[in-house]
Amino acid sequence: MVYMDDKEFSRLLSICRIHLRESERAAIKRDVDEVLEYFNSLESVDTNGVIEAYHPVAVGEKLREDAPSEFPDIGIILKNAKTYRFYVVGPNI
Amino acid sequence: MSSITEFLEKEKPSGYTGKMLKELSKLNEELNAFNNIADSLGSGMPFSVKDNICVKGIETTASSRMLEGYIPAFNATVVQRMLDSGFSFIGKTNMDEFGFGSFGLNSTKPARNPFDVRYVAGGSSSGAAVATSILKYHVAIAESTGGSISTPAAFCGVVGFTPTYGALSRYGLIDYANSLDKIGIMARHADDVRSVFDKVRGADAKDTTSIEGEYRREVSKKIILPDQLTKGIDEDVESGFARLVEKLEGMGYKTVHRSIPFIDKAIPAYYTIAMAEASTNLARYSGFKYGYRNEDFTQHYNQFFTNARERFGLEAKRRIVLGTFVRSASVRDEYYSKALKVRRLLIKELGKALQDGFILSPVMPIKVPTFEEVKELTALENYKMDVMTIPPNLCGLPHVSFPYAYHKGMPLAAQLVAGHWGDHAVLGIVEEWERHFDYKFKYNIGEL
Repeated sequence: MVYMDDKEFSRLLSICRIHLRESERAAIKRDVDEVLEYFNSLESVDTNGVIEAYHPVAVGEKLREDAPSEFPDIGIILKNAKTYRFYVVGPNI
Repeated sequence: MSSITEFLEKEKPSGYTGKMLKELSKLNEELNAFNNIADSLGSGMPFSVKDNICVKGIETTASSRMLEGYIPAFNATVVQRMLDSGFSFIGKTNMDEFGFGSFGLNSTKPARNPFDVRYVAGGSSSGAAVATSILKYHVAIAESTGGSISTPAAFCGVVGFTPTYGALSRYGLIDYANSLDKIGIMARHADDVRSVFDKVRGADAKDTTSIEGEYRREVSKKIILPDQLTKGIDEDVESGFARLVEKLEGMGYKTVHRSIPFIDKAIPAYYTIAMAEASTNLARYSGFKYGYRNEDFTQHYNQFFTNARERFGLEAKRRIVLGTFVRSASVRDEYYSKALKVRRLLIKELGKALQDGFILSPVMPIKVPTFEEVKELTALENYKMDVMTIPPNLCGLPHVSFPYAYHKGMPLAAQLVAGHWGDHAVLGIVEEWERHFDYKFKYNIGEL
């Protein structure tokens, strides 16, 4: 079954910020249709009144203290990016 | 005696470490187990780290071109706990890019099976399994999302342990799917796995999903054989598995066949959740931090970002596309929320089944495949191969994969699953099994 036409697929790729070569595009489009059809088999399960399981075990509501802490190796972090006066340089937005 | 104790007690000849590392580097050229190998080693038992777990100052790429050159500024909690316990870091192991794969093929240099290089090593922790199979004294820190420890451990004939979700801190793990990722352990024997697990488990303030579990250690003698996971599989796997069941019955285990509701929905539920989470996690790789750097800052952000994402492999792109779709507003309830609800139902059903027993199945419905056989599979056929490893991973249940026989020189393995926090109990059964089984390894690098 075809789940989205070429135009919709192009729009999805654009949202994903993914550019595909022609050969990749055909393969992934076919896979998307095939996999979504398979995912649709979940429809047959009655989930009325069932709560989503965001985690497989109860992990509680633990949050870290919102406080600054010492990080001695900041130099290594900055080496992973182009920097200017201690700032990470990025593209225009 | 565990091999950790044996290694620490045995006297090492002069030049032992250098010779061992040289031998390992040479074999690695053929098997691609490691993405990098340490120049030197301390005196502790060697441990390797899957390349999606951060080691301070060591390039960590998750086998992705996107992360080439990324040097973490910190150790993952599990790595720090290993070092604090006296283990010596030996290198970063190869894997499917970001953990996306069951056969180890989604890597620029796929790992090869140490029993026969025509065969795959399994995935995604391919290198961890190969390293464990070739090094006499070593334990591997690996990671599983949907079967990435069980499958490669099975194909390479070693013990692969995936603990209860939250038992080990994920701090320092390069996320694939946060609600599914579990750091685990591979070794040549279950007692080594247990020893390492007890050193690295426990809550960590740096990972709010990590838990100090209430472990259940009692070993039940009841083994459940789910109908859906033990029928319609490769004939040699089926007959080998039947012989294992007979042997376990001979050891006093009672086996029962049972159909488990919703287990056939585990794969679509799992891949929906995994892809949704992966597509958000991969959005952080934007081309100006973490590894690959596009320094053409004249481009608008959208173009800059799109160009950077060219570096992802085809499977990563496929998962981004599908994951972005299933969590888009118009279909979110139909796919993502539905999958989370199905997970809830399956957790309940498996929990009921595992109250007083363990689930046993093969690890894969096929024997160890060759590279050529795997290349023929479509994406969906690939995903469906995870039919046995996904249910416990989706539900965060502890499980262990262990070899039980050899067929034409290649290992056959089974997977044993326990209820939440039954980690020690499931390892206990494998330890008992090992007293009746002789492991075979083609290489024993570092033997003393």
